[in-house]
Amino acid sequence: MARNKFDIDESLDTPFDFSHLKRSLVYVNRYKTRMIFAFLLSILASLVSLCGPQLIKKSIDEAMPNGNMTQLLQLSGLLGGTIIISLLFNAIRGFIMVGVGQDIVYDIRSDLFRHLQELPFTYYDTRPQGKILVRVVQYVNAVSDVLSNGIVNIIIELLNIVFISIFMFKTDARLALIILAGLPVLAIIIFILKPAQRRAWQRVSNKSSNLSAYTCENIEGVEITEIFDRQDENIKIYDQLNNLLNKAWMKAVYISNLISVSVDNISQWVLAIMYMAGIAWFSPSASIGIIIAMGTYASRFWQPITSLANLYNQLITAISYLERIFQTMDEPIEISDAKDAYNLPTISGEVEFKNVSFEYEAGVRVLNDVSFKIKAGQSVALVGPTGAGKSTIVNLISRFYNITEGEVLIDGHSINGVTIKSLRSQMGIMLQDSFIFSGTIEDNIRYGRLDATKDEIITASKRVQADGFISQMEDGYNTQVNERGGRLSQGQKQLISFARTLLSDPRILVLDEATSSIDARTEQLLQMGINELLKGRTSFIVAHRLSTIKSCDIIIFIDGGKIVESGTHDELMALKGRYFELCTTQDE
Amino acid sequence: MVMGLALSIITMSMVVIIPKLSQILIDDVIIGGQKSKLAPILLVMCGVQLLRTVLRYLMVICLENASQFLVMRIRKHIFTTIINQELKFYDRNRTGDIITRVTGDIEYVRHTCSWISYMFSDSISLLIATIVFLTTIHIGLTLIMLAVTPLIAIISYFYIKRIKSIYRQLRERLSNLNTTAQENIAGNRVVKAFTREDYEIDRFDKCSKEYRAANLSASYKWQMFSPIVDLISQSLTVIMVLAGGMFVMNGSLTYGSLAAFSGLTWALANPMKNLGIILNDLQRFFTSADKVIELFYSKPIIADRHDCNDKADRIKGKITFDNVSFKYNKEPVLKNVSFTITPGETIAIMGSTGSGKTTLVNLIARMYDVTEGRILVDDVDVRMWKLSKLRSSIGLATQDVFLFSDTVDGNISYGNPNLSEKDIEKFAKGAAADSFINKMEDGYNTIIGERGVGLSGGQRQRIALARALAVSPPILVLDDTTSAVDMETEQYIQNQLTNLDFECTKIIIAQRISSVKSADRIFVLNNGSIEIGTHETLMRKSGYYREICELQNLPNLPPIPDENSTEEGGAK
Repeated sequence: MARNKFDIDESLDTPFDFSHLKRSLVYVNRYKTRMIFAFLLSILASLVSLCGPQLIKKSIDEAMPNGNMTQLLQLSGLLGGTIIISLLFNAIRGFIMVGVGQDIVYDIRSDLFRHLQELPFTYYDTRPQGKILVRVVQYVNAVSDVLSNGIVNIIIELLNIVFISIFMFKTDARLALIILAGLPVLAIIIFILKPAQRRAWQRVSNKSSNLSAYTCENIEGVEITEIFDRQDENIKIYDQLNNLLNKAWMKAVYISNLISVSVDNISQWVLAIMYMAGIAWFSPSASIGIIIAMGTYASRFWQPITSLANLYNQLITAISYLERIFQTMDEPIEISDAKDAYNLPTISGEVEFKNVSFEYEAGVRVLNDVSFKIKAGQSVALVGPTGAGKSTIVNLISRFYNITEGEVLIDGHSINGVTIKSLRSQMGIMLQDSFIFSGTIEDNIRYGRLDATKDEIITASKRVQADGFISQMEDGYNTQVNERGGRLSQGQKQLISFARTLLSDPRILVLDEATSSIDARTEQLLQMGINELLKGRTSFIVAHRLSTIKSCDIIIFIDGGKIVESGTHDELMALKGRYFELCTTQDE
Repeated sequence: MVMGLALSIITMSMVVIIPKLSQILIDDVIIGGQKSKLAPILLVMCGVQLLRTVLRYLMVICLENASQFLVMRIRKHIFTTIINQELKFYDRNRTGDIITRVTGDIEYVRHTCSWISYMFSDSISLLIATIVFLTTIHIGLTLIMLAVTPLIAIISYFYIKRIKSIYRQLRERLSNLNTTAQENIAGNRVVKAFTREDYEIDRFDKCSKEYRAANLSASYKWQMFSPIVDLISQSLTVIMVLAGGMFVMNGSLTYGSLAAFSGLTWALANPMKNLGIILNDLQRFFTSADKVIELFYSKPIIADRHDCNDKADRIKGKITFDNVSFKYNKEPVLKNVSFTITPGETIAIMGSTGSGKTTLVNLIARMYDVTEGRILVDDVDVRMWKLSKLRSSIGLATQDVFLFSDTVDGNISYGNPNLSEKDIEKFAKGAAADSFINKMEDGYNTIIGERGVGLSGGQRQRIALARALAVSPPILVLDDTTSAVDMETEQYIQNQLTNLDFECTKIIIAQRISSVKSADRIFVLNNGSIEIGTHETLMRKSGYYREICELQNLPNLPPIPDENSTEEGGAK
C-alpha cells in the first residue's frame, strides 16, 4: 500500500464528474419533504413580493396624481403587508433549511466516522493522522450549505429563468432569442474553465490537507522538535506548505472569479445587441414598449444566471471536498465479518496456528509457515530479536490483520469464521503504545469494561500496582489526564493500560512489550498480583526481560519469521541453542 | 488592501453610471428617435461594463490577496508560537483544541478578512454613493429614509449581546468534536483492541449532535434577527411611497425624481441588510479571533533571556544539579537533588516507575524549569543558556518514540537536516538499525507513519537512538531507549556507544542491570531523592539496586556486608 506523508498530495482515482454530487443526493433525499416544503415557501414568498411593484405603480399612477391621501395610506399598508408576509415565508424557509443542512452534515459525518472505525490498521498506518481528521471535521462542515440551501436555490433560480424566458418569448420571440444567445457563449466559457477550475480547487483541498497534516504532526511531536531544536527548520517547511496553499488558493480565486466577469459582460453585450436589433427591426413608434420591456426582462433574466454562476463556483469547491469524503468512505474494510460469521462461544483459550504465513506488503514475508498449538490456560513467551515477527503473531490472533496463508484456530474455531467483535471481546490485548484518552484516570481504566464499578476499577489498579501512584495524585482517580498523558510517566501509563486490560476480564491475554517501561521491582509485584488472575487464562507475552520470560509455560523463540526453538525454560536451556545464548548474555 | 478598497469605490460609482446610460438610451434614442446616438451609447455601456467588471475582478483579487497574505502570516506566527511552547502548555491543552485553533479558528479569520472585507467595502461605498446621489435630488426624503438606520443599530446591539455566548459555545463544541475525532484516530489501535467501536461511535455521535445543536441555535438566532433587519430595510420602500407620495402631492418632488428614488431604494436597503450579515459574521469572527489572539500573544515562560549565553564553541558536557527541587503542579517529584557529572562520564539512572527519571533529564534540557535550586551545564545556569544552544547540545532518545510521517532518513536526520547519506547510515549502524532498514522496501527512503506505526517497538527505539546520535551531541541521553530491544542487540548498541567518534557525556535510563552496570556511576532515584554509587558499591548494599539485582537473578551476588561498612561513591 502506498504510504503518504505530509507533503505528498493524495491521488484520486475517480475522474471529475458530478457523480460525487449525485452520490450526496442520497443524503439530501432523506430530507426531501422538508426541502420541498421550504421550496414552496420560497415560491410563495417571491410571488407575494411580486405584488410590491404593482402597488407602487398604482400609488404613483392613481393615488399621487389625485392627491388621495387615504388611498396612498392603504396602498402603503398593503405594501408593508406583502413585505411582512414574504419575509415571514422566507424566515420559515430559513428555519427549515438550516435544520436540513445540519442534518445532512450530521449524517455524512456519522457515516464517515462509522466507516473509519471499521478501517484496518493499515489505513491509519499509511497516512498522517491530520489528513484523516480534516475530512471528518473541516471538509464535512464545508459542504453543508451547498447541499441544503444550494440545491434549493439552484432549483429556484432555474425556475426563475424558465418563467422569465416564457415572458420574453411572449413579448417577442426574436429579441428573446438574442438574449438567450448569450447562454451558449457562457456555457462554452464555463466548459473551458471547468477543468482548470476543478484542478485548482482540488489542489486547494490537497494543499490544505497537507498543511493540516503537518500542523497536527508538529503539535503531537512538539517535544521532539524542541529537544532537537528543529523549530526553525520546521517553520521553513511549514512556510513552504503555507505558500503552496496560498498559491493554490489564489489560482482558484483567479479562475473562479472569471466566471462572474463573463456573466456580467455577456449580459451587457446581449443587451446592447438586443437594443440594436430592436431599433433596426421595429418602427420607432411600435418599438418603445417592447424594447423597454425586453430591456427589463433581460436584466431580470441574467440575475438568476449570476446567482447560478456563484452557486456553480460553490459546487465546484464542495465537490473537491466531497470527493475526499467519499474516497474515505470507499476505502475498503479489509477485515470484516464473513457472510456466514457466527459468534464465537465463550472460549477456554486453546490457540492453534496452522502453517500460518503473513506479509504486510506483498512479497515481504514476515511470518513463514508458523505452526504451534497452545493449550487453554498456558502462558506463552514469544522471544526473539527485534522485528522477528513476535508482535505480528499476537496481532494475528486478534485478527488485526488477515493472514496470508494458513489458519488460526481458537478452541477449534477458525478466527476468520467468527465475528470480530465476539473474538476480540474475549481477548485482552495490551499494546506497545499505552494510549491514554483525555479524561480522568478512572475513565481510562473503565475503557476496558464500560460497566465496571469504581470498586472494580480500584481492585484492578491494586492488582497491577497502579493504585499506589494514582491515590497519591491530587485528585486520585479523578485526576484529569490528557491524550499526551503529560503528567504520567511512561511506566505509569503502562500500568494504567494494564489495569484497563485486566478489567476487561479476557479469556486470552496478550501482553506486547507491555511492561517494558515498568521497573523491575514494580514488575515483580505486578506479576504476583496477576498470577492469581492468570490462572485458567491463556496468555501470550512478548518481552525481553528474562525474569518475565522464565516463568512462562512455553517459550517460543522466533527469528526471521520462523519458530527456531520452543519448549520450557529448562528444556531450551538444555538444548544450548539460541535461547541459551540469549540467557547467558543477560546473565553475564 | 487599500487598493482593493479604492477599486471597490470606483466600481460602485460605475454601478450608478450604467442605469444612467440606459436612461439616456431610452429617453433620447428609443423615444426621441436619435438613432445616430445608438451605437456610441451602446459601445460606452459595454465599455463601462467591461471596465467595471475588470476593475471589480482586480478588486476581488486585491482583497483576496491581502487577506490571504494576512492569514498566511498569522498562520505562520501561530505555528511558530505553538512549536516553541513549553511542555506545560501541552500538558494543559488538549491536542484537538490546539488543532481547532490552528485550523478552524484561523480559517474563520481568513473568511472574515476576505469575504467580509469586500462585502463591507461594497456595501459602504454603495451606500455612500447612493446617499450622495439622492441628497442632490431631495434632502428631506433622503433623511426620512435614513431615519430607520438607528433602529437597525439598536436591534443589532441586542442581537450581538445574545449571539456572542452562542458562538462561543459553538466554538467549544467544534473543539470537542475535533478532540474526540483526533483521539479516536490516534488511539485507533486501543479502540480496536477493546472492540470499543460502538462506544466510540456513540461518543462521537454525542459530540456531533451537540455541535449540530449549537449550530442550529446560532442559526435560529440569526433567522430571528435577519428578517427584522430585512423588514427595516425593506420598509424603506413603504417610506418611499408614503413620504415620497406626500412630497409629490405638496409639489416639492417631481415624478421623475420619485422614480429615481424608487430605482435606487435597493441601493440603500441592500447595504443595510448586508450590515446585519456583517455584524453577525464579525461576532463569530471575534470568538475565533480571541482564541487566535490568545495564542498569538502567548509567550512561553521558558524562553531566552536577553543576556543569554550563546557561545559558539561546543559544550563540554559538565552537568551540575545544585539543590534542585521540582514539583509538577503540587506533587513533588525531586527533592533537594545535588550532584555533578563530569564531561565524558557515563551515568546510569534507575528507579521505580514514576520516580522522576524522565523529569530529571527533561530538566537538563530545560523542558521544564526547576522549582528550587539550579542546574548548571558547563557551569552556566540552564536558564542563562540560549535555549537552542542548550537543546542542540543534548541528544535525547525518548522513551515514548514519536516518529514523523517522513522517510527513515528524514527521521534520523531530524535534528541535523544537513546530514549526508553516508553519515545517516553510520549513525543507523551505531544504533543497530541499519540491517532492518535495508530490509525495508525502499530502504532509507521508506516512508514511516507517525509514531512509526508499522515498525516494531524495538525498531522504533533504534531509529530514535540513531536520531539522537545524529546530532553528535555533547550530552547524550537515552531514556529507556533499549527497553524493547532484544538483549543481543542491546549488547551491540552498548559496545557502539562506548566507541562514539565524538566526545559526550552519557546519561542512560534503564531498567535492566545489564544496561547499567558498566556505567561510571549509577544514580538510583527513590521518592524524590537520589543515591549515587557504582555497580560494585550499590550491589553490596541493601536497597533498591540490590533488590533489582536479585530480581534479575544476577549471578555471583556478594553478600551484604555489615551495616556499619563505609559508604562509598556519593551522598544523598
